[in-house]
Amino acid sequence: MAKVLIPTPLRQYAGKHDSVELQGATVGEVLTALTAQFGDLRRHLYTDEGKLRSFVNVYVNDDDIRYLNKDATPVKDGDTVSIVPSIAGGTAGVAGVDAPPATLSKEEILRYSRHLIMPEVGMDGQLKLKNAKVALIGTGGLGAPLGMYLAAAGVGRIGLVDFDVVDFTNLQRQVIHGTKDVGRKKLDSAADTMQDINPYVEIDRHEVALTSENALQILKDYDFVVDGTDNFPTRYLVNDACVLLKKPSVYGSIFRFEGQATVFAYPGGPCYRCLYREPPPPGLVPSCAEGGVLGILPGVIGLIQATETVKLILGAGEPLVGRLLLYDALAMRFRELKLRRNPECPVCGDHPTIHELIDYQEFCGVPNQTHEPTPAEGEIDPVEVKAKIDRGDPFVLIDVREPHEYQICRIPYARLIPLNDLPKRVNELDSADEIVAHCKSGVRSGKAVDFLKQAGFKKVRNMKGGILAWSDKVDPSVPKY
Amino acid sequence: MLRIEKAAWDAMVSHAEKIFPKECCGVMVGVDGVVKDAVPLSNVYTGPQEDFFVMDPQDLNRVDKEARARGLDVLGVYHSHPNCDAYFSKRDLEHSCSWFSYVVLSIKNGRFDHANSYRPDFDQKEAPKEELIYG
Repeated sequence: MAKVLIPTPLRQYAGKHDSVELQGATVGEVLTALTAQFGDLRRHLYTDEGKLRSFVNVYVNDDDIRYLNKDATPVKDGDTVSIVPSIAGGTAGVAGVDAPPATLSKEEILRYSRHLIMPEVGMDGQLKLKNAKVALIGTGGLGAPLGMYLAAAGVGRIGLVDFDVVDFTNLQRQVIHGTKDVGRKKLDSAADTMQDINPYVEIDRHEVALTSENALQILKDYDFVVDGTDNFPTRYLVNDACVLLKKPSVYGSIFRFEGQATVFAYPGGPCYRCLYREPPPPGLVPSCAEGGVLGILPGVIGLIQATETVKLILGAGEPLVGRLLLYDALAMRFRELKLRRNPECPVCGDHPTIHELIDYQEFCGVPNQTHEPTPAEGEIDPVEVKAKIDRGDPFVLIDVREPHEYQICRIPYARLIPLNDLPKRVNELDSADEIVAHCKSGVRSGKAVDFLKQAGFKKVRNMKGGILAWSDKVDPSVPKY
Repeated sequence: MLRIEKAAWDAMVSHAEKIFPKECCGVMVGVDGVVKDAVPLSNVYTGPQEDFFVMDPQDLNRVDKEARARGLDVLGVYHSHPNCDAYFSKRDLEHSCSWFSYVVLSIKNGRFDHANSYRPDFDQKEAPKEELIYG
């Protein structure tokens, strides 16, 4: 005889016994005897097909029968058979049993009437929008039209991620912020505009830089992720996080007069790493701050992203999956490139090698701040440059910016030799002279210094912080751009 | 209907707040639909515990035995949803056991926000809400 312990909630179906002595040579036989004696117990332990329910674990003494012989596990006289449920759960899973709000208020019906009268959206579609949760990374150039139109369209919950502050150079394109917002947190400024457009939208403010440590935690609560950032580490981070969380990510990028958009991490579709397995070497692709951007461009690309986001929520039309849309504002042309999921992709492929988020700063070759002591050698402070000019020290100051930048502002003593022209004009310089190079912020002049050193120049230094620092430290009348 | 006495309720809330931002889990014991005691258990899930929990069946077995010895029953289990509403998620449903009441505590930014109790069915298809009185 084996003793079967009946768990508390099942005792009511087992004649209120807390244990029952039963005959049987195996676990299967003992349980059959149990359910034969107490018929009501059967449906609590077995499915209609006669299999033990997935949440039922059976132990003989202290051993789980799954690791013994399952049903055929032998039972001896005096053994104790315990029935123990397995209990697990968690927040993940978009579809809760708690039904989301199933109606629109009178005011909302009025607000969304132009959507409601289109059968492609209608009441069902508008409710999908209302119940949708979208994470928007960045409230800058792309984030501005995205935030405003997604709010206006009635996306119920929008999570904004940004830690930046509005400055004057943003206003040429980031239309979610106004002149009065300069100096405010972008998060607050964007949320105010969105809330003004549509007070029915719930806005989560995540005032952080998205990192490997917080990305999964932040993004897991949203159905879709829209990437409005313009740097490689964040782009790879968002991509990998979306693949790991199985959430589609709506991608857009902009530079000067050209933009791109597509949807990544859609089931069966490619991801950013299928397109670009590795980032370009740091410094090769200039950012918008370095290369400039037509202010209207992010409006066009951001609204393509907004359109795709709304289509994904509605399940309408043909999503921009497996197609990279290219936009050229000067030619006013759109083109499409086919993208395929790469079965060898390290994150979304058939045998992924990346199972968790990595250090994206390191991956993209961006030095970590902690490992970056200021390289005093080879650099010179603008204040010292000014002192050299005032003292009449013999040295050559070269400005390696472009001619159109030189038109905006200049340092009177400087000679313009754009970085790209430097190789063919290097003979204008004398390696015996002391040379200082400057640009807008110090990046391009750093390259110029490297180039000159390789060409055999010994006494070359980079003016730290470029003409922007000159304006801050030496001559505030020089405009910043 | 499930009623949770104040001492047990306070223990559940403080357990959930302490474990935040991870998910906590535990067992509720009592008699006749009234929870007298909350027994915190370890979350033994080996992956990220921010959105998933697993109870060790041996722990559950031990609590069941101890409750019996005191003349009490295991009435249900509880777990927390960090920075998330207290709905019964798809994952909850997929791993649910129809024998128990499931109390879900929503903890937002480390503080208790709200709670609900559910009774999942045998087939893990539905989990109707049940009335929950606490404190």
